[in-house]
Formats: sequence, structure tokens, C-alpha cells
Amino acid sequence: MIHRSFAKHFYIMLIPGLLWLIFFNLYPMYGVITAFKEFNPGVGLWKSPWVGLENFKYMFELDDSKIIFRNTVVIAFAKMIGNLIVPLVFALMLNEVKNRLFTRTVQTVVYLPHFLSWVIVGGMMLDIFSYSGPVNQVLESLGVEPVLFFANENAFPALVVGSDIWKEFGFNAIIYFAALTSINPEMYEAAAIDGASQWKRLTKITIPSILPVAALLATLSLGNILNAGFDQIFTMYNPSVYSTGDIVDTWVYRAGLIDFQYGLASAVGLLKSVVGLVLITISYVLAYRFANYRIF
Amino acid sequence: MKKGIFTTLAVLLVSASLAACSGNNNANSGASSEPSGNAGSNHTPAVEEVVDPFAKFDEPVELSIGRGIDPNYKYDGTDTAEDNVYTRWLKDKYNIVVKHAWEAATGNDYQQKVSLAISSNDLPDALVVNETQLRQMVKAGQLADLSEVYEKYASPELKAVYDSNPGLLDSVTFDGKLYALPETTLPSAPLTWIRKDWLDKLGLQPPKSLEDLKNIAQAFIDNKMGGDATVGIVGTQQGGSLSANFLNSTDHWYNFSPLFFANDAYPGIWVKDKDGNAVYGSITEETKNALSMMRDWYANGILDKELGIRKSTAEVVASGQTGIFFGPWWSAYNLADSMANDPNANWRPYAAPLNAAGQFNSNQATGSSYIVVSKNAEHPEAVIKMTTLHKWGKDEEYKTLTAGKEMTSQEVPLFLILGAGDQLEYAVNALRDVLTGKIKVEDVDQINYGWAYEMATHVQAIKKEPFDNYDIQYFDQQSDPGFFTHIYAHLNGGSTFVDADINWVRSIATAQTKTMESRWTNLKKLEDETFLKIIMGSEDLSAFDEFVAKWKDQGGDTITKEVSELE
Repeated sequence: MIHRSFAKHFYIMLIPGLLWLIFFNLYPMYGVITAFKEFNPGVGLWKSPWVGLENFKYMFELDDSKIIFRNTVVIAFAKMIGNLIVPLVFALMLNEVKNRLFTRTVQTVVYLPHFLSWVIVGGMMLDIFSYSGPVNQVLESLGVEPVLFFANENAFPALVVGSDIWKEFGFNAIIYFAALTSINPEMYEAAAIDGASQWKRLTKITIPSILPVAALLATLSLGNILNAGFDQIFTMYNPSVYSTGDIVDTWVYRAGLIDFQYGLASAVGLLKSVVGLVLITISYVLAYRFANYRIF
Repeated sequence: MKKGIFTTLAVLLVSASLAACSGNNNANSGASSEPSGNAGSNHTPAVEEVVDPFAKFDEPVELSIGRGIDPNYKYDGTDTAEDNVYTRWLKDKYNIVVKHAWEAATGNDYQQKVSLAISSNDLPDALVVNETQLRQMVKAGQLADLSEVYEKYASPELKAVYDSNPGLLDSVTFDGKLYALPETTLPSAPLTWIRKDWLDKLGLQPPKSLEDLKNIAQAFIDNKMGGDATVGIVGTQQGGSLSANFLNSTDHWYNFSPLFFANDAYPGIWVKDKDGNAVYGSITEETKNALSMMRDWYANGILDKELGIRKSTAEVVASGQTGIFFGPWWSAYNLADSMANDPNANWRPYAAPLNAAGQFNSNQATGSSYIVVSKNAEHPEAVIKMTTLHKWGKDEEYKTLTAGKEMTSQEVPLFLILGAGDQLEYAVNALRDVLTGKIKVEDVDQINYGWAYEMATHVQAIKKEPFDNYDIQYFDQQSDPGFFTHIYAHLNGGSTFVDADINWVRSIATAQTKTMESRWTNLKKLEDETFLKIIMGSEDLSAFDEFVAKWKDQGGDTITKEVSELE
């Protein structure tokens, strides 16, 4: 059958990706046992003594564990919502602009920050929101006392989420742009003939047409709910915002690589992965139900 | 969807990749330990052969190291850290070939790389590590026992140096095995560095008490000495700590240790309370007082508004925005940028602020850098030899090759500060005496204090009269740029430190105890967070008492008990 011979190419093309997955993601997985051991790098993983659930027990005793999981979920969830809505609104607004040159330019400019690393963007943010930075200068000219944003526990998560959205919204909007171009123009023509206003066309045609895409992206991003962004937070945080800004990954970094508490760090990392796996499964089921999206 | 799965899988086991690396390397090391065993047996039959520490190896000996590199350092011509005058000299003259297993920028990057290397058991033959890393490596059994090669290959000069620093080798000897070559730590206490040109302009006297220091900072701000955005006192930057602690006892550069010390507070180290019991310095009443004072100073704008958040404290110092920072005597080595931006910048160190009783307090540093050798290294003796050569192997040929340029840690692999226990004191006094003509350059002890002699030969060209005034205008910066920084740092910074009458306080514990290994991350976090918040005013001072209660409860009491048992 034509169908089957056609599919063969796809399987061959899949090989590099599969190999990558096996070597970099599946093979290292045996390392989870670090969480159940007192890992000694000198004797290697296999010979390190088992400690059972000791690391997990200690993890649940720590006040920190609750805080870092809460912070992670709060920040990641806010990022998820923001990264869905902002690009959507942006795409809809830009879609209404009829000047091609203008839309192309804006699109290119707004997705540029996506290509900068957090080390750079983090440094920029620290400068922009610093005590004598532009934001505080504006506040000062309005007669407001300068604020130390990065030392403020309440402001910190907002800054993290805000800068993440700023960095990514242009890039995330690309999918919506694609969805928008796939809407059949005949519908708009028909609506125009029937006398539908610009607003009506937006609410009755555009939004319903890209809603499945939005729903799909929303459910898929559930899998990321425990990824609050290590590199971003690491370059921006400081001890005074630990209570709202310290996330699982930064904590694991400090415990594992600064203080050499491998077992504890792995236990926390493992718990994060297990929760992540559950969420991914849920999001897959949801994606199948609501957007008829399936992998297998 | 795929992306979601992949990223989650990738994160799935951060620890896993660590483990995977270590697994691989165990296999490798198993194979490579074979030949090293043979190499070892080669020299056993020889009956007590006497080894000349300065002899050339018969065969080229290759040594892999991990190397910290200053990204801003300019090498001569096409030289690199791996291939320069010094390494070529090592190779041609002594058959020691140094290869870089990896390079990383000095500072945090290097420390991270070392920690990763330890965790993944992927170690080069030799490394320079800090104390925590050394202990971790000893515990993991990754290090070679150097006792034998040290006995055999260390030159009498090297042994004399360690003998003159009592207890130093003992501190790196575990179960009778010598696991590292320690740096002969130049003692360091945090001094207060002030722009004296600003003091003079405002007709102010150098500080003695905390009150003086506060007034000077206030005067600098009021008179806008550093422009509209003058910062009173700068210190800790993002990722830095507020003060030195027992694991990082020499960490005095750009933080606020002196403000604690002048309040008789020693956060981060274990001290004795008035009943003679071990107590953690961070939970004492004195520390609370110090925090309360810093809180006031912060609220009044004396302390940097962005302490703990600032990306780079060095930048503020270099740009002339501030006139006060804290740092050890060697901070003078790092003032070049400031002086380049403002030739009048006359930074002077002061052994201040004093405590209420008029004493100048400091914690006593326990250690800083160590050369360690992997147990899989084939030629541990080469490391010992290199250390000897770096210090005492500089012959006429070497001097011709380097054309008189002093080689730094950027050229010299496995650079370690080595010298008699009183090296700094001797050097500073020798320089002063040579200047005043009390002694001649030839009178400086070239054998035991080579570096002091080296500097003494240059000092007269650099230091102008009056010889006892170390303000920047009395130095000739141009005549001998290669040595200016050394002379300037020793005379300006070193002399203040050497002359200071310091009340040293030593930590009872200098390494992590059993319980600390599991609890310290949490306790440290609690401390860092609370202290910073109290100073910046986002928490009341009463948060300190809560912190103390929590600290004790979450393992602090157990740890204190373990520490008292150390005595």
C-alpha cells in the first residue's frame, strides 16, 4: 500500500530523535536511585550505601519543601496563564492591522528577546528595576519613593512572570498567527456581505476558529507546571526573596552542587518529576478529550 | 506536546545525569589504574634512592589539570594559559607537560566546575580546590595519599615553609594520610577602605569607632562626593554572603564582616559564650545588635540600598560612586580600575571600626586553597615538584625567558601562595627598611623570603618620598608597571594590616559535622534570608528571635552539640 511505504520514511527520520532520547533521557534514568542512597562520588553510584526512604523522610520534615513546591507551582502556573493569554491577545490585535510591512516588522521585533539567554535578560532586568534604574527614575519624577523591586517578596514573582512573558510572548504568538492565517477568508467575506461589524467578525469568526488551538496549547503546557525556570530565577533572585522566589530547581542546585547533599537533592528532584509525569498524563488525556490531539 | 514531554523527561532526573557520568568514569578509572600501578612499582626496587627535587624527569611527564582563568587577563603575544613562557620552561627544563582537562573563569564558574567534577568523579590529575571541596573529596576517597611523594620529592625549602606554619599539614592529614598541599594562608582581616582624597577634601579624620564610620559615610553622601547617586558603604553583591563564615573563612572582600566584628559579633562561625560553651555566632545577642545597627544604617541610606541584589560591587567601586568598602589588605590589587577612572582615587585601608572597648576584631581564617591530586593520577610526584619549582626553581635561564616579568596565577599552573608563616610581615617590613635605608637590598633574606627580596629590588624605583606616606601620589606608577601593583598592595594594604593590633577569634569548628551535612542547606537559607530581610527592613528585628528558635529546632541544637564535642 502506498500508505505504508510512505510511512517508512518517517520511521527512519525518527531514528536520530529516538537515539537522542535513549542516550540523554532514558539511559541516565537509572540515576534516580541516588535518591535512595547516600551517594559517594568516589565509590560510584552502585557501591554507595542504600538509605531507603531516609532522604524522602527528611524532605517532608523540612519547611522548605512546602515553600519551594508552592513557589514553583505559583510561578509556573502564572507563567502558563500569561503565556497563553498575552500572545493570544497580541496575535488578535496584530491580525487586525492591515499593513503587511508593519505587522511583519512588529512580529520580528517582538520575538527577538526569545533568542537572548536569561543571563543577559536577567542582568537587564536587574538594571532596569534597580534603585536608580529607569523604572525608579520615572516613579521618582512622579513623586513616588523609589522601590527596591528585587528585594520585595511580593514583587519578585510578578517580575519573574512578567519578564518571562515579555521575553516569550512574541515567539509564542507564532502559533496563533499560523492558526489565524488558516481561517477560511470566505467566512469573513460572507460575514461582511451580511453586514457583520469588525467586532462581530472578531468575536464570531476569529476567536471561535482559534479557540481549539488555544485549548490545545493550554492543556499541553500543563506538563510544564513544575518548570518555573531555573536559569531565569537563578540570575535574578537573592536571599531576601527566598520565601516567594526559591523554586525546586534552585533549591536542588544549592543542596546538591553547593552543599553536596546529593541524596536529598535527588529526592526533591525525583518528587518533582513524579508530579510532572502525573500532570503530563492528565494533560494528554485532556488534550485528547478537548482538542482531539493524540500522539499514539 | 513533544516539547513538553522532552523537557519534563530532561528535568525528570537532574540527578540522573550526574550519576550517569560517575558510572562511566568508574569504568574508565578501573582501566587506567592498571598502568599507574605498574608505574608505581618501577621505583620501589631502587634502594632508598635520593631524589633531587630540582632534577629533570627522564621522560616527559604529562599532567592534566583543571584551570581557573581570568577572562580579562592579557597574555604576551600568542601565549595562553596552557602554553606560555612558564609552561614551556617547565616542559623544556623539567619535562613536565601540563595539559588542561578543562578551563573555567576564576571565581564562581571555576568553583562550580570543580564541584561538578567531584560529583561526577571525572577528575583531572590535579586541581586547586577550596576547603569544602577538599573535605568532600577526602570523604569520597578520590584523592591520592601524598605522604610518600611529599617526603621524597619536596625540596628542603618547601618542607621548611610548611614547618614554619605549624599545624598546616596536620589540617590536611586525615587518618595519617596527607591529602593536599595547603596554601600558606596569608592572614587576612577585613579592613575599611576609604577614599582618603575625599576625607581630605571634607577635612575629616579617618574613622575609629562605628559612629565615626557612619558619619564619614553620611558626609560623603551629603557632599555628593561620588555624584548624585553616591553610595555610602558598599558590600555584598548578588550571590555573595554578608560576612565570612567557617566554611569560607577568608571571604572578607566586599561584604560586611567588620560591622559585625565591631559589635563583637561573629556570625557564621562557632565561638565560645561567656560560660565557655560552644555557640553559633549567628544566633548570639551581639549579632542581633549588629543587625539592628545595620538596619538603621540601611534605613538612613548609609549602607548600599541594593546590598545583596547588586550585580557587581566592583563596578560601583571602579566608577567612583562610593568612597567606602571593606576588604582584606590585598584589596589594593583590585583597585586598578578605580584609579584608571580617577587618577586621584587615593584608597587607604584602616584597621577600623573598633568595638566599644577599642579593640579591632576579626575572625581567624582557617584555610583557602589546596592543591589536591586525584588517586588515579600517574605522577603525583610531578605536582610536588611543580610546587617546589614555582617557588624555588627560578634560575638565570628562567629570568632571561620571562624577561623579569613576574609570573602570576594566570601563567603558573597550580598556583599556590607559599611562604613562611610570617611572609607578609617580613615582606612589608623589609620593603620599609630598604626604603629608609635601614637595611640594604642584599640584606633581605633571599632564600627564605624570595618574594620579599624580589620586591625589594624594585621598591626604590616605585615608592617616592615621603617613604612612610602611602598615598597614591607618592608612588610612581609608570616606572615599573610590572611591580607597581605588588609594591602598592604591600605598602598601602599590607603595612596597615601588619601594624594593626588584631583580636583574632577562631572558629571552634572548621568543617561540617555529621548533622550539618544534611541540615546545613536549610539552616543557611534560613539565616541568609532572615538577616538580609532584617537589614533591608522587610522584617522586624523580632524576626531574629524567631530565627534563633527555628534554627535551634531544625537541627541547630544537635549541630552545636556535635561542635562542642569537637573540642
